[in-house]
Amino acid sequence: MAASSLISTAGPVRAARLQHTVFYVRDMDESREFYESVFDLQFSAKNHPDSSAAMRLSANTMNFFSFGHYHHDICLVTNPNVQLDHDEFLYFSMQLNPDTLPLAELRTRLQRRGVAVREGSVLKSRTLMPGQAAIHFPDPNGHWLEVLG
Amino acid sequence: MARIHPNPPHLSKFKTRISPLLRLPLVRELILLPATLTGKRRSNKTFDYGVFQPSGVRQLGQHSLYVENLDRAIAWYERAAGLVLARRAAPEPHPFAPGTVLHCAYLSASDQPECLVLIERRNARNQVVETSDRGFFHIAFELAAGQTTFALAQQLRAQGYFVSYGPVKHNNAPGGDGETGGNVALYVYDADGHNIEFFYDMDTIENYRQRYGTRKGTERSGWTSATPQA
Repeated sequence: MAASSLISTAGPVRAARLQHTVFYVRDMDESREFYESVFDLQFSAKNHPDSSAAMRLSANTMNFFSFGHYHHDICLVTNPNVQLDHDEFLYFSMQLNPDTLPLAELRTRLQRRGVAVREGSVLKSRTLMPGQAAIHFPDPNGHWLEVLG
Repeated sequence: MARIHPNPPHLSKFKTRISPLLRLPLVRELILLPATLTGKRRSNKTFDYGVFQPSGVRQLGQHSLYVENLDRAIAWYERAAGLVLARRAAPEPHPFAPGTVLHCAYLSASDQPECLVLIERRNARNQVVETSDRGFFHIAFELAAGQTTFALAQQLRAQGYFVSYGPVKHNNAPGGDGETGGNVALYVYDADGHNIEFFYDMDTIENYRQRYGTRKGTERSGWTSATPQA
């Protein structure tokens, strides 16, 4: 790919939006089952140290999941050298697609799994759009998820 | 004026020196030679599986990051990422850690208001709580339409920032690094050592369908019974 042909000349380059998060999990199978069952996320790719040189260098194993448009929106990572903790981020949030997963249906799924749900946003200072509802709960790794419906 | 740390002190220079060589297929083959010889490479194949159903999620809404100096972190995201400080919030109690107080700043990207919240934690003695790098591998921001990570790399380097990896396309095309996703990505560590990706041109499910039609990953050649089902 010719880099020179791709360089934009339209002012300072800047981020347009947050697109994906690649976070550590303790058990890939358990986490994959949670995200696929609760959110209907679609497994889209796997990168493994046995078949990826970059993964070999980083010791990461990655399972990618798509929301339905991009190749990946969420990626689960295991790394034998990383002891997961909760001092890097407090939570991340996801906006539900009301046509495919209404908030009421999500509540039902979480209740069936015995997941304790807290009402509202994680942060009191968080601004919600008019008519928007929020809940938050932990995933199997203790990562807090905020879901907007 | 906030002090800006363009390069975190703990960054590994070793892997950074090696990583540009991943564009060379021969280097990738050498790194993977043991797995190739033992057959593990085929049973743990790096592979696209395809997506054929809608999910229950539309998009990521907001990501939080713990930081150790709120002013310094805001300055980094304004200067390096082009985010805009939307507001600072009044201190509030940590929702899960009694005695800890959170100082939050909300930042907006050009197409997504308040997509990032930077959080400085202070304990009961008003001391800043340290952050870690063991929560996520990276979070990623998409660039505005028409903008590229090649231009961003020039911009960051001109400002004195250290680009740890990229720009590189994540696929097997010439010049790609053999990964998946198709995004032309650039990685940089922020002022607290969080790994941040910027990218453009990620593959979509339509790209997959153009390549493989309606065949799922498990229906394409190269899939083995040891590969998890899509």
